[in-house]
Amino acid sequence: MKMHRYEEIWLVSAVALIVIFMLITGYQTFALGMGPPSHKETIDPQQVDTTAPFDEPGVYQIGDNEYEVIMTLEAFRFVPGDIEVPVGATVTFTMTSKDVIHGFQIAGTNANAMVMPGYIQKVTQTFHEPGEYLVLCNEYCGAGHHVMSTSITVR
Amino acid sequence: MKDIHVETSREEQDTKSLKGTLFSVMMVGAFIAFMWFGVFWLFMERY
Repeated sequence: MKMHRYEEIWLVSAVALIVIFMLITGYQTFALGMGPPSHKETIDPQQVDTTAPFDEPGVYQIGDNEYEVIMTLEAFRFVPGDIEVPVGATVTFTMTSKDVIHGFQIAGTNANAMVMPGYIQKVTQTFHEPGEYLVLCNEYCGAGHHVMSTSITVR
Repeated sequence: MKDIHVETSREEQDTKSLKGTLFSVMMVGAFIAFMWFGVFWLFMERY
Protein backbone atom coordinates (compact mmCIF):
# COMPACT_ATOMS: atom_id res chain seq x y z
CA MET A 1 0.00 0.00 0.00
CA LYS A 2 1.39 3.34 -1.03
CA MET A 3 1.11 5.79 1.79
CA HIS A 4 1.88 9.47 1.70
CA ARG A 5 4.88 10.56 3.75
CA TYR A 6 2.81 13.04 5.78
CA GLU A 7 0.19 10.41 6.44
CA GLU A 8 2.88 8.19 7.92
CA ILE A 9 4.06 11.04 10.14
CA TRP A 10 0.69 11.75 11.70
CA LEU A 11 -0.28 8.10 12.07
CA VAL A 12 2.98 7.29 13.86
CA SER A 13 2.65 10.45 16.02
CA ALA A 14 -0.94 9.61 17.02
CA VAL A 15 -0.07 6.02 17.97
CA ALA A 16 3.03 7.22 19.86
CA LEU A 17 0.96 9.75 21.80
CA ILE A 18 -1.56 7.10 22.87
CA VAL A 19 1.22 4.67 23.85
CA ILE A 20 2.97 7.39 25.91
CA PHE A 21 -0.30 8.24 27.72
CA MET A 22 -0.89 4.55 28.47
CA LEU A 23 2.65 4.01 29.75
CA ILE A 24 2.44 7.00 32.10
CA THR A 25 -1.00 5.95 33.38
CA GLY A 26 0.15 2.34 33.81
CA TYR A 27 3.27 3.42 35.70
CA GLN A 28 1.18 5.66 37.97
CA THR A 29 -1.34 2.94 38.74
CA PHE A 30 0.89 -0.10 39.19
CA ALA A 31 4.26 1.34 40.28
CA LEU A 32 3.17 4.42 42.23
CA GLY A 33 -0.10 2.98 43.55
CA MET A 34 -2.17 5.91 42.34
CA GLY A 35 -5.04 3.83 40.99
CA PRO A 36 -8.64 4.87 41.52
CA PRO A 37 -10.31 3.72 44.76
CA SER A 38 -11.85 0.30 44.26
CA HIS A 39 -11.83 -1.66 47.45
CA LYS A 40 -13.76 -4.87 46.97
CA GLU A 41 -15.15 -5.44 50.43
CA THR A 42 -18.81 -5.79 51.16
CA ILE A 43 -20.95 -5.23 54.25
CA ASP A 44 -24.61 -5.68 55.16
CA PRO A 45 -25.91 -2.08 54.86
CA GLN A 46 -28.59 -2.71 57.50
CA GLN A 47 -26.06 -3.92 60.08
CA VAL A 48 -23.47 -1.13 59.73
CA ASP A 49 -23.87 0.06 63.33
CA THR A 50 -23.13 -3.39 64.72
CA THR A 51 -20.43 -4.44 62.25
CA ALA A 52 -16.76 -3.82 63.06
CA PRO A 53 -15.05 -1.47 62.45
CA PHE A 54 -18.07 0.73 61.72
CA ASP A 55 -19.59 0.17 65.17
CA GLU A 56 -16.98 2.67 66.43
CA PRO A 57 -16.41 5.41 63.85
CA GLY A 58 -13.50 7.72 64.62
CA VAL A 59 -9.91 8.68 63.92
CA TYR A 60 -7.29 6.07 64.82
CA GLN A 61 -3.52 6.39 64.69
CA ILE A 62 -2.08 3.35 62.92
CA GLY A 63 1.55 4.40 62.49
CA ASP A 64 4.04 7.23 62.51
CA ASN A 65 1.89 10.13 61.30
CA GLU A 66 -0.47 7.62 59.71
CA TYR A 67 -4.12 7.59 60.55
CA GLU A 68 -7.20 5.62 59.68
CA VAL A 69 -10.60 7.24 59.76
CA ILE A 70 -13.49 4.83 60.15
CA MET A 71 -16.36 6.75 58.67
CA THR A 72 -20.03 6.14 58.03
CA LEU A 73 -22.05 8.27 55.65
CA GLU A 74 -25.76 8.75 56.02
CA ALA A 75 -28.39 11.28 55.04
CA PHE A 76 -27.06 13.96 55.50
CA ARG A 77 -23.86 13.73 57.49
CA PHE A 78 -20.39 12.26 57.78
CA VAL A 79 -19.57 10.44 61.06
CA PRO A 80 -17.19 11.44 62.56
CA GLY A 81 -17.52 15.11 61.67
CA ASP A 82 -14.72 17.64 62.20
CA ILE A 83 -11.59 15.52 61.89
CA GLU A 84 -8.23 16.86 63.03
CA VAL A 85 -4.83 15.52 61.93
CA PRO A 86 -1.25 16.89 62.00
CA VAL A 87 0.53 18.26 58.92
CA GLY A 88 2.05 15.57 56.71
CA ALA A 89 -0.35 12.90 57.97
CA THR A 90 -1.29 10.11 55.62
CA VAL A 91 -4.92 9.35 56.25
CA THR A 92 -6.82 6.33 55.02
CA PHE A 93 -10.56 6.81 55.00
CA THR A 94 -12.49 3.55 55.38
CA MET A 95 -16.07 4.34 54.58
CA THR A 96 -19.47 2.86 53.99
CA SER A 97 -22.97 4.20 53.56
CA LYS A 98 -25.91 3.43 55.84
CA ASP A 99 -28.63 4.37 53.38
CA VAL A 100 -28.18 5.65 49.82
CA ILE A 101 -25.23 6.37 47.55
CA HIS A 102 -23.11 9.23 48.87
CA GLY A 103 -19.98 10.90 47.59
CA PHE A 104 -16.80 11.71 49.45
CA GLN A 105 -14.72 14.51 48.04
CA ILE A 106 -12.03 16.51 49.79
CA ALA A 107 -11.99 19.81 47.90
CA GLY A 108 -8.60 20.75 46.49
CA THR A 109 -7.23 17.19 46.61
CA ASN A 110 -7.55 14.05 44.51
CA ALA A 111 -9.58 12.28 47.19
CA ASN A 112 -12.88 11.61 45.49
CA ALA A 113 -14.96 8.47 45.86
CA MET A 114 -18.44 7.11 45.55
CA VAL A 115 -19.62 5.49 48.78
CA MET A 116 -22.31 2.90 48.18
CA PRO A 117 -24.45 1.02 50.70
CA GLY A 118 -23.21 -2.57 50.93
CA TYR A 119 -19.64 -1.71 49.97
CA ILE A 120 -16.59 -0.58 51.90
CA GLN A 121 -14.65 2.17 50.20
CA LYS A 122 -11.04 3.15 50.96
CA VAL A 123 -9.28 6.34 49.97
CA THR A 124 -5.84 7.46 51.12
CA GLN A 125 -4.74 11.07 51.17
CA THR A 126 -1.61 12.78 52.49
CA PHE A 127 -2.12 16.30 53.82
CA HIS A 128 1.05 18.27 53.04
CA GLU A 129 -0.34 21.73 53.80
CA PRO A 130 -2.00 22.94 57.01
CA GLY A 131 -5.47 24.35 56.74
CA GLU A 132 -9.12 23.49 56.76
CA TYR A 133 -10.22 21.10 54.04
CA LEU A 134 -13.83 21.04 52.95
CA VAL A 135 -15.40 17.61 52.55
CA LEU A 136 -18.46 17.36 50.35
CA CYS A 137 -20.98 14.76 49.30
CA ASN A 138 -20.93 14.88 45.52
CA GLU A 139 -23.64 12.32 44.76
CA TYR A 140 -27.18 13.61 44.98
CA CYS A 141 -28.50 11.80 48.05
CA GLY A 142 -31.79 13.52 48.86
CA ALA A 143 -33.43 16.77 49.93
CA GLY A 144 -30.58 17.69 52.30
CA HIS A 145 -27.76 16.83 49.92
CA HIS A 146 -26.59 20.43 49.69
CA VAL A 147 -25.97 20.63 53.46
CA MET A 148 -24.03 17.36 53.62
CA SER A 149 -20.51 18.53 54.32
CA THR A 150 -17.85 18.46 56.98
CA SER A 151 -14.26 19.59 57.35
CA ILE A 152 -10.81 18.19 58.06
CA THR A 153 -8.48 20.42 60.04
CA VAL A 154 -4.78 19.95 59.40
CA ARG A 155 -2.50 21.60 61.98
CA MET B 1 -10.12 20.10 -27.13
CA LYS B 2 -6.45 20.40 -26.47
CA ASP B 3 -5.05 18.89 -23.30
CA ILE B 4 -3.26 21.61 -21.33
CA HIS B 5 -2.61 19.51 -18.23
CA VAL B 6 0.92 20.02 -16.98
CA GLU B 7 2.54 16.85 -15.81
CA THR B 8 3.88 17.03 -12.27
CA SER B 9 5.37 14.19 -10.32
CA ARG B 10 2.95 12.32 -8.08
CA GLU B 11 5.16 12.94 -5.03
CA GLU B 12 5.21 16.70 -5.53
CA GLN B 13 1.45 16.88 -6.05
CA ASP B 14 0.75 14.90 -2.85
CA THR B 15 3.11 17.00 -0.75
CA LYS B 16 1.43 20.19 -1.83
CA SER B 17 -2.08 18.94 -1.19
CA LEU B 18 -1.41 17.50 2.30
CA LYS B 19 0.68 20.24 3.86
CA GLY B 20 -2.34 21.97 5.39
CA THR B 21 -3.75 18.67 6.57
CA LEU B 22 -0.49 17.79 8.31
CA PHE B 23 -0.46 21.17 10.01
CA SER B 24 -4.08 20.81 11.17
CA VAL B 25 -3.55 17.28 12.46
CA MET B 26 -0.44 18.38 14.36
CA MET B 27 -2.37 21.30 15.88
CA VAL B 28 -5.10 18.94 17.11
CA GLY B 29 -2.40 16.59 18.42
CA ALA B 30 -0.64 19.41 20.25
CA PHE B 31 -3.96 20.51 21.79
CA ILE B 32 -4.73 16.96 23.01
CA ALA B 33 -1.20 16.55 24.44
CA PHE B 34 -1.37 19.95 26.14
CA MET B 35 -4.73 19.14 27.75
CA TRP B 36 -3.60 15.68 28.82
CA PHE B 37 -0.39 16.89 30.43
CA GLY B 38 -2.30 19.79 32.02
CA VAL B 39 -4.67 17.39 33.77
CA PHE B 40 -1.75 15.13 34.65
CA TRP B 41 0.12 18.06 36.22
CA LEU B 42 -2.99 19.04 38.20
CA PHE B 43 -3.39 15.50 39.49
CA MET B 44 0.26 15.23 40.59
CA GLU B 45 0.09 18.69 42.18
CA ARG B 46 -2.85 17.66 44.35
CA TYR B 47 -1.58 14.22 45.29
